[in-house]
Amino acid sequence: MVALELAGATKRYGRHTALEDLHLVVPAGAAVGLLGPNGAGKTTALRLLLGFARPTRGAARLGGHDPYDPRARQGVGYLPERLNLPASMSLRGFLRLHAALAGLAGDARTRAVEAALETTGIRERAGEALGGLSRGLGQRVGFAQALLGEPQLLLLDEPTTGLDPLGVRDARDWIARARARGATLLISSHVLSEVERTCDHVAILHQGRLVASGPLDAVVRPGESLEDAFVRLVSPP
Amino acid sequence: MLAPLAAEALRDALRRRLALVVAGVALLGVASAESCTAFGPGTWVVDGQSVDPELVAAWLAPLLFGFEILLFVVLAGLLAADHLARPLAEGSALLWLARPVGRGAYALARLAGALGVAYAAGAVLLGGTAVLLVGRHDLAAGPAVVGALAGALGAAGVAGLAMSASLWLGRVAVVTLVGTLVPLVALINTLRAAGARLDGFLGLLDRGAPPLGRAILAAVAPWNPHVSDLGAEAPRLLAVLAAWALAGGALLVLSFRRVELPR
Repeated sequence: MVALELAGATKRYGRHTALEDLHLVVPAGAAVGLLGPNGAGKTTALRLLLGFARPTRGAARLGGHDPYDPRARQGVGYLPERLNLPASMSLRGFLRLHAALAGLAGDARTRAVEAALETTGIRERAGEALGGLSRGLGQRVGFAQALLGEPQLLLLDEPTTGLDPLGVRDARDWIARARARGATLLISSHVLSEVERTCDHVAILHQGRLVASGPLDAVVRPGESLEDAFVRLVSPP
Repeated sequence: MLAPLAAEALRDALRRRLALVVAGVALLGVASAESCTAFGPGTWVVDGQSVDPELVAAWLAPLLFGFEILLFVVLAGLLAADHLARPLAEGSALLWLARPVGRGAYALARLAGALGVAYAAGAVLLGGTAVLLVGRHDLAAGPAVVGALAGALGAAGVAGLAMSASLWLGRVAVVTLVGTLVPLVALINTLRAAGARLDGFLGLLDRGAPPLGRAILAAVAPWNPHVSDLGAEAPRLLAVLAAWALAGGALLVLSFRRVELPR
């Protein structure tokens, strides 16, 4: 079963081509690292998958639906690269609203919020306004909302941004737990070592084009690290 | 989905400094009304003759209440001018829109949030003024109710149009448009009602824009026996304003579906 798909997706902004004929199929239960240098089109790909933008050509499918259809985003957790939290909302109020929008009601909502607070280690700060939190705590809040209700699909854009080493280790643990319960993951990241630890597949973008994709051991040659493979694939010949 | 998002949009609108300004303007408006309506027999004297306070009230009430309805409509437009554009520009909207939330539901929730604050301010402004006019000068309450309804419908229409415009224009441009076009339309509607011939752009605006001025005039006209016949048009004009309110909401939903995020 396919969890998400980009079928020949091209995205142009005026004369600039952000993505060119991208074919990417992520089967349910896979953990895919979406890699590429700055401006390679990783965030654009996630935007197309979430219905924030339409492909200029080709198509995006999320859970078999057009991402513009709200049903496509049922059971999806998303952590954006630039997390802008509503400063004056309380942390618990923020998570409760997210849980409501995710379709959780009553006790299920309360349980999901408390579980997310507990998992991400921010329960003690639940009554505070989001504007007063540090960058690292903000990123934990981002994870908490993404993990609410144990979504079946997680789209994480640079998930370890702003986290200290302990936070990075925790994030690795949250991702591993999501994998263990069978969630599909698409992780856009610059941190190759994290991708190597958390993902079993990679897709490498360069200048809007897919230059390699597949299981980690198929993309990385014997004796290479993922970093070596990455440099080989995105460096000029 | 709409209700929790609208509640958050309302809370967000209440937390803005602009909400404080709007509340201040509303209270100032009521204070002005209190001052303007504090007259009685002998207060107005022309050529040594005391002017009948009923006559003064018959002219003052439509002018004062009409101006305050217009102020209420402008405030609604100003509140809507960036209540959707701001979370889009900041990126905080992306987290909500990554949920199974339709674009239309999100946009209408933001509109409802802005209108919630505007209606609260309008209730204070128009309610306070109506109580003073009706209580002090024994005027009928009906025109105040119809006028408030015209204001509410006009505010919804203008807010919807302003929020739609904010998806394509900057805040300063939208605020300028609201601050100039709403009073201009009201003015030319009034001139037209007074028998002025309007051609060109002004004529187009009179015929093509929401009939804010005409609806306000029709609503408050029964307070003045000299122009009370204008009141007959009120039901039709309210229906037109209701259609504009629906059109503003529909335009907002359609526009927002076309917008690519983040902006």
